Amino acid sequence: MSDTPFDPGVSRRDLLKTGAGAVALAVSGVQLATPAQAQTPKKGGTLRLTFLADPLHFDPHQTLSFVTMCPLSLCYSRLVKVKAGPTVKPMTYPVEPDLAESWTQANDTTYIFKLKKGVRWHNKPPVNGRELTADDVKYTYERFLSITGNPNKPVLEYVDKIEAVDKYTVKFTLKEPNAWFIDLLASTSTWIIAKECVEKFGDLKKVESVVGTGPWMLDRWEPNVKIVFSRHPNYHVPGLPYADNVEWLIDKDPASRLATWLSGKSDFGPEYQHAVRWLDAPVARQRKPGLQTSEYTWFTSGATGFKVGNPPFNDLKVRRALSRASNVAEVFESLAFSQGHWTPNPAVPAAFAEWSIPIDQLNPEGRKLYEFNTAEAKKLLAEAGHPNGFKTTVEAPSVVYGPDFDDFVAITVKNWKAAGIDVDLKLKEYGAFISSTIFGKFDHMFLGLRGAWADPEAYFYRWFMPGQPLNVWGVNDPKLTDMIKLQRRTFDVAKRKQVVFDIQRYLADQALFGVDGSIRILSAWDAHIKNYGPNNGFDYGGRLMAAWIDK
Amino acid sequence: MRVYILRRLLVAVPSLLIASLIVFTLPRLIPGDVVQLMLEEKAYGKDLEDLRAKLGLNRPLYVQYFDWMGSIVRGRLGESLWTRQPVLTELTRRLPVTVTLGIFATLVSIAIGVPIGVLAATRQDGALDFFARSAAILGLSVPGFVLAILVTLLPAIWWGWTPPRFVAFTKDPAGHLLQFVLPALILGVAAAAAIMRLTRGMLLEVLRQDYVRTAAAKGLRERVVVLKHALKNALIPVVTVLGLQVAGIAGGSVIIEWIFGIPGMGQFLVDAIVQRDYPVIQGINLIIVTLIVLTNLSVDLLYAVLDPRIRY
Amino acid sequence: MANSVETLPVPPQTLSRPWSVPSAVRVVLTFARRKPLGAVGGVIVLTLLIMATFAGQIAPHSYEQSVPGHRMKPPSAKFWMGTDNLSRDVWSRVVYGARISVTVGFATVALATLMATVVGVSSAYLGGAYDIAVQRVVDAWISFPALVVILSLMAALGPGLPNLILALSILGAAGASRVIRGSTLSVIASPYVEGGRAIGAGHLRIVLLYVLPNVLGTIFILATIGLGQVILAESALSFLGFGIPPPFPSWGAMLSGSGRSFMYHAPWMALFPGAAISLAVFGFNMLGDALRDVLDPRLRGSGRSSAST
Repeated sequence: MSDTPFDPGVSRRDLLKTGAGAVALAVSGVQLATPAQAQTPKKGGTLRLTFLADPLHFDPHQTLSFVTMCPLSLCYSRLVKVKAGPTVKPMTYPVEPDLAESWTQANDTTYIFKLKKGVRWHNKPPVNGRELTADDVKYTYERFLSITGNPNKPVLEYVDKIEAVDKYTVKFTLKEPNAWFIDLLASTSTWIIAKECVEKFGDLKKVESVVGTGPWMLDRWEPNVKIVFSRHPNYHVPGLPYADNVEWLIDKDPASRLATWLSGKSDFGPEYQHAVRWLDAPVARQRKPGLQTSEYTWFTSGATGFKVGNPPFNDLKVRRALSRASNVAEVFESLAFSQGHWTPNPAVPAAFAEWSIPIDQLNPEGRKLYEFNTAEAKKLLAEAGHPNGFKTTVEAPSVVYGPDFDDFVAITVKNWKAAGIDVDLKLKEYGAFISSTIFGKFDHMFLGLRGAWADPEAYFYRWFMPGQPLNVWGVNDPKLTDMIKLQRRTFDVAKRKQVVFDIQRYLADQALFGVDGSIRILSAWDAHIKNYGPNNGFDYGGRLMAAWIDK
Repeated sequence: MRVYILRRLLVAVPSLLIASLIVFTLPRLIPGDVVQLMLEEKAYGKDLEDLRAKLGLNRPLYVQYFDWMGSIVRGRLGESLWTRQPVLTELTRRLPVTVTLGIFATLVSIAIGVPIGVLAATRQDGALDFFARSAAILGLSVPGFVLAILVTLLPAIWWGWTPPRFVAFTKDPAGHLLQFVLPALILGVAAAAAIMRLTRGMLLEVLRQDYVRTAAAKGLRERVVVLKHALKNALIPVVTVLGLQVAGIAGGSVIIEWIFGIPGMGQFLVDAIVQRDYPVIQGINLIIVTLIVLTNLSVDLLYAVLDPRIRY
Repeated sequence: MANSVETLPVPPQTLSRPWSVPSAVRVVLTFARRKPLGAVGGVIVLTLLIMATFAGQIAPHSYEQSVPGHRMKPPSAKFWMGTDNLSRDVWSRVVYGARISVTVGFATVALATLMATVVGVSSAYLGGAYDIAVQRVVDAWISFPALVVILSLMAALGPGLPNLILALSILGAAGASRVIRGSTLSVIASPYVEGGRAIGAGHLRIVLLYVLPNVLGTIFILATIGLGQVILAESALSFLGFGIPPPFPSWGAMLSGSGRSFMYHAPWMALFPGAAISLAVFGFNMLGDALRDVLDPRLRGSGRSSAST
């Protein structure tokens, strides 16, 4: 972390440049002491935030993209949710009731949920504020599982049937036990939607069809400009939300988003999950006295893919050499976003504080993967029969992920070359990349980003279970498969954690993935925003609903 | 005269038809299956086929083409494959924005370019000519988005000020028009250089001609000569370039729209291309192409008015 | 045999003189005196070419070499233009970037000129139904905004240097072919070509020996202006994500990539490539302008079509 721009000299230079004025005031410390009594929530006002893209459309059963899911999280509820607020430590995901006030597990494969009574839909046509019932739940999940082209299907594909036992009771029967069921039900694709909307509009893609039971209602969408939400007066948690409106400002350019925040036109950090780039953090603190922040690791990480069935990656030594040749630390020190703040990831990303194994608890061979050492990498390659390295091609999507991703690719490729892995970089336009490479139509290797799945199991289940469409590695390891099946059936959390740790140890031993890391981001929110706590995941609505504005 | 107009109109028709063919084919040449894109990281075999059928993408190409042409004739441009919003609605919302930006930018470029061009021509090879030409070229040499980013970011850091965000005309007419000032300036300055050089060049040539010398010899003041006789003729090619400029601005404003958060056609188009949203790409292209063909047509007709010697 | 025969002073023009260095220098100096701005442009272009050709010798580091411990350093004696966030020497990258810009620029212009010349000259020369048909297609093609064509082509072809060159060429060729056609039309109507036909020269001969050399001036001017536009286009494409892929240090990518992210904190990362772009475009345009002024009178085409440059 030697050459970062965290140079206080910058701010002093700025002071001189602008000649005192507002900046001087800010730095000299108009620090608002937070009096103890300012803990009474204030109702009203508008929360304003910036977001980097428009929603694709508004149907949660037809996309898994965060650009749609995040705004929808303000309008919809599900049976259970991830607890939100400042009392929740980021990177932990405790589940609490949402629409279901309680639930019991009758046996390994049967769950019974009791719904809250008097939950009202938004008062918008065609639903018009009626009460939510078990039939709505049944309808939602049947559509979820049967509709063509639902990329979220794996979240619930093991569910056999859903029955509305009575007006407020729903029964789920699974095909096989799944210890993750409740956590999966809390994910942000399992919202309850209204039958009338689907019948009236054909699907839920149009913005008029967004009618839910969540804290805010979607007033209007001005494409490329903003989405405006207003409070749902009959929200099923009395008193919430505190803020009357939410202004979701859409801005594709990072400099413009930052400027919008710095000039006071939004209340939260400009990037995803209200993060501010570490590069910009000093300027932000200077412009915003009393800025509240929280540092934690997020889901997003790079991903290196290769086919374990094809030479040379069918040789364990070569796979190990690949990781030894990667200098992940260098990547994160160079990026504008991270500036050296990062955490290495085992197979389950570090962003899952409870399920991700600490690197030092891996077996020795697995731990060594994270130690960058070009000489060792060369030695391993020589032992594997490649004394002069080998040639291979790498496919990567071009520039759609921004200059940080390009830098990541450049550094990674450079370090591999230094170890003798002579990489021919083939860049593909994003659409072409998604259509082919992601599904395994690549020759040797690819570099991409890991999807932000909200449950730990997805990170090894979808990649390494035989038969899964995303198992582009071609992994079919009986020992691994058994372990994965076992953890799914292990309901005891401590025991399951042991199995999940074992899986991560095994994957590291077998070097079945390329080492990577995730950024420790700095989420930031203005001094006048109270009772807010950031966390990973698409649930902006859940985190915003109990926040209030103290102005 | 009437024959000329008719002939010109007739010529435009095959151009439009060919354009429609190109408009239809071009996006489909791009690899990447829109259906697979929609299903993103998950595609069950049967799901793909069902979705494709639902969207009508499994029909033979020529059927899709004629279907599209048919709906155009009926005044509909189809729906976006992704958002299912009608393409025409989206376009009617965004086109005025881009056109306003284009008009403002063109006005800026004329307001800067023509006077400087005239000055430079009348004082050819003098110091003013040098400075004018250098400044103009420098104006177009700096990529517009650099200026845009600086204008957006630096004031925010120094003074906590940013250019205003988009506001619709119906809500706040003054604010709506004001927001175009900065982006139009940046776009216009780059275009001004071309206008300036052309004005200067044309004026120089015209000034050398006999009828101008005759007018000057008759004793009319220089300024009158220049303005009345020379400029009128010099403007003919300038008008051509303006036609091309409009096209350039329509397409080239994407980056400026992006940075200033202006919801125009540019952003819409880029997104559509990345997402392979064929109906949207086709719709936008068709509208733009038609606009440009019409603009060129008007320019040609304007010629006929300005210079009776010109005939096709 | 000094005094045996009175040698008549032979007027230089009647002898075919080899092109000798002193006369070339004289031409250049005259040009410099009459068109100082153009000369400045010429110097800039020359510098660019030298940087591009001898990049290996001029640049102290390779363009992808990280110098450990020197991340984001401001300009200094050791690193004339500072270092970037990957600890690479910006000056070296700018020098290698010249090679990229020159390659892309010249290759694009060469290819576009070739396509435009073939289309434009053939259309004007052959005339008739061929001309009408070809011009309709060109019309349709020109009507497309540059952005649409470029994005579609780049998305279709995929990222990469050769694809970028191809896409930009196709884009530029359409408009240029119109200008060349106009120029050709006026040349064909001249008595010069009539004369050629009169002595029975075949079509190909006429085109190659009579038409082309006279159209060459127009082509040349278009090319110099085009070079500037290509460089600007590349930087705009990089911004949108369709430019030259990393790690090649194209100026456009340096400017709109990481340079943009660090514009406030390490402005030299964007400043120098940006200045390089501006200078190059400035130079090409100035040179092109001066050339047009100098070659002007002989190449006035038929009214509007040539004026659209």
